[in-house]
Amino acid sequence: MSLSDVLSPFSAWKNLFRDPVSIPDPLNDRPGAPRYRGFHQNDIEKCIGCGTCEAICQNAAIDMVVVAEIATKPGDSGLRPRIDYGRCCWCALCVDVCMTSSLSMSNEYKWVDHDPEVFRFTPGIDLKHWDSTELGYRRPEGHRLTGNERVVMGELAPEARADSFVEIVAGYDLEQAKLEADRCVSCGLCVATCPTHMAVPEYIATIRDGDYEQGVRLLYQTNPFSNVCGRVCTHRCETSCAARHEGDPIAIRWLKRHIIDQVPHDRVKQIAAEGRVNEPSDHRVAIIGAGPAGLTAAFDLAKAGHGVTVFEALPAPGGMMRYGIPEYRLPYDKLDEDVDVIRSMGVEIRCNTRIGEDISIDQLREQHDTVLLAIGLHQGRSTRIPGSEHEDVVSAVELLRRITFGERFDVPKTVAVIGGGNVAMDIARSLARMQRQQHGQVGVTLVALEAEDLMLADREEIDEAREEGVVIIPSRGPRQCLIERDAVTGLETVHCVSVFDEQGRFAPKYDDSDIQVHDAGLVVEAIGQAADHVFLGESLTEALEWERNRIRIDADGHTSESWLWAAGDAVEGPDVITAVAAGHRIAASMMLAFAQKSGRE
Amino acid sequence: MTMQPLYQALKAGFPIGELTEQRPDLAFITVPREQLRGLLLHLRDQEGFTHLVLLTAVDWIEEDRFQLTYLLHDRKGARDIGLRVMLPRQAVIEGAPMESIHDLWPTAATYQRELREMFGIDFPDSPGVNEDFILEGWREIPPYRRDFDTLKYSNETFAPRPGRESQDPAQYMKAQLYPDGA
Repeated sequence: MSLSDVLSPFSAWKNLFRDPVSIPDPLNDRPGAPRYRGFHQNDIEKCIGCGTCEAICQNAAIDMVVVAEIATKPGDSGLRPRIDYGRCCWCALCVDVCMTSSLSMSNEYKWVDHDPEVFRFTPGIDLKHWDSTELGYRRPEGHRLTGNERVVMGELAPEARADSFVEIVAGYDLEQAKLEADRCVSCGLCVATCPTHMAVPEYIATIRDGDYEQGVRLLYQTNPFSNVCGRVCTHRCETSCAARHEGDPIAIRWLKRHIIDQVPHDRVKQIAAEGRVNEPSDHRVAIIGAGPAGLTAAFDLAKAGHGVTVFEALPAPGGMMRYGIPEYRLPYDKLDEDVDVIRSMGVEIRCNTRIGEDISIDQLREQHDTVLLAIGLHQGRSTRIPGSEHEDVVSAVELLRRITFGERFDVPKTVAVIGGGNVAMDIARSLARMQRQQHGQVGVTLVALEAEDLMLADREEIDEAREEGVVIIPSRGPRQCLIERDAVTGLETVHCVSVFDEQGRFAPKYDDSDIQVHDAGLVVEAIGQAADHVFLGESLTEALEWERNRIRIDADGHTSESWLWAAGDAVEGPDVITAVAAGHRIAASMMLAFAQKSGRE
Repeated sequence: MTMQPLYQALKAGFPIGELTEQRPDLAFITVPREQLRGLLLHLRDQEGFTHLVLLTAVDWIEEDRFQLTYLLHDRKGARDIGLRVMLPRQAVIEGAPMESIHDLWPTAATYQRELREMFGIDFPDSPGVNEDFILEGWREIPPYRRDFDTLKYSNETFAPRPGRESQDPAQYMKAQLYPDGA
């Protein structure tokens, strides 16, 4: 035996003075690793109840349940995920796919209870001690199961589009559309926000499947204006898209356009006619105005076998879709396709027929069971500033109408546009194009009452107008139109400090020390439109109930007169898709009235 | 601390892939299958990586590959290195064998038995590799393979728990916000 063999047991004694490596209280003092996939946490304010966690769960461990604390609102179903720990395998796919990063996992992993029911719980609602734990599994930075960037839409560059009315947006090709459709998680949060509740997840799925005819079928279930809405819809659906929280919303509008672009027009007509009633009813409906509200109602009613005649004062159908929206945003032939499908349903459209001149409203009432007023807002409002009565101070809607008529009037080298909404952008960009054609240069100044970030026009309209050479000056109020020797020479504006008062009422405040003059041979007013109700005649105007200068309607679009309904911009606004929704509602309401009448007889 | 010096030393002797540094004390290298045994021996006997922490697999079904990860620990250096080997997935499913390393670390036999059961990757020479590991009486395809339909299996195998119900978000929103459809 060597000396070291004798001494070595004692050398271990030095360890007595070291800190122990064992854990003193192993049951309580042993945290999970920092990225441990432990019990779930859900930030209940961030969660939007889209159910994507439920959809991806491979063990069917997640249910979307109603919780008393959360109300359903646009973009939030109000549901929240409940997890069954009898099924969960802690794979964390639910965390990885979560569209808002509300769902995560703490590093807590001990939970003991005698009651098996407690292991089915709603994180964030059923409060747990690990709810605010910082450590645990989070989706790593940059790790996404769904693409967060929208497929870029091809558009004409400013220099290629600034002197022509050719359509700007190219539309997605097959590959681009599939990529964009692939980003959609089919949660359906958008459907409630769409005024006409289009079947968005279902029609996007047809792009992934390449089944475009089924796509058109789904579009026509809720909207006979997919060519139009696929181009110019205000796409409020995209504001409710689950993808917008951590990336770009799905390009729902462009995908709709892509579907309708893929199917030949004659085939679209066949699909739209599926389910059409072939035995004509004896009900006759007159519709005044061939805009989106009137024509949608006409489509539904004619498809159900009712006789529909649409009376249109202007030379062609479409209303503001044709006479308001410029061709570079919505080509006329695309609008014509949508209208042609509606005509093919048996709808008769009589253009150049103005009620009150060519036929009276009383005659319409006598010859039809019901009448729909869908006349739109075709009269421009005036600022009534000094000089605005001059003939070279015109309304935007009138000028846009003349451009659609094909009038090639001379545009002065300088123009001032008053207004900060989309109509103002439409006329400014149209006149800029004509100036470029006529003079080789743009001289349009647009003044808006609102500050830059509060302007009513869509951001892309403002940006594109600037790209095309329009000078946009926010926070300017019109003071007077300057006239020298009977000719308009400019517009005088004053700095607008604020548009609304503390109560939110329209009460612009000005700084009179800040006055500017904008050279202009033509001043265009684009500050709002009004309806022309003169044709109603005195007795009907008296009989109807009004709300300020709008005809009062109920939820079904019914006026106070039993034979008369009203829809569209003149009573509701503000966009095509709202008018489409109203058209459907009114057609259903009229058909209900027909059924009730038949039941009584 | 960095794994770069070790990586450069290994690269001088072996044709190996890129270094992925997860942490200063944890890195991964993808290596050719035929270099695996030599690298494991070198790391164990020359570089201090004496402990086999784990051997596991990933099913890259889209790329038709199985990935084996051999994670080794260097006690003295307090660092880990993972060697990744890619196998042709379809060939492995059809029975192409993988070399066992149980002679380098006896514990490897247990991992290899697990991989045989959960992924269907065969290590013919590994002791007891064909014995049941945890799935007694399993009749389906190996359950860690991505083409195994977990949801279908659990729906067919397990009774649904009473009292569960779920709402479709879009349908629920309709009922709450526009019940008459308009």
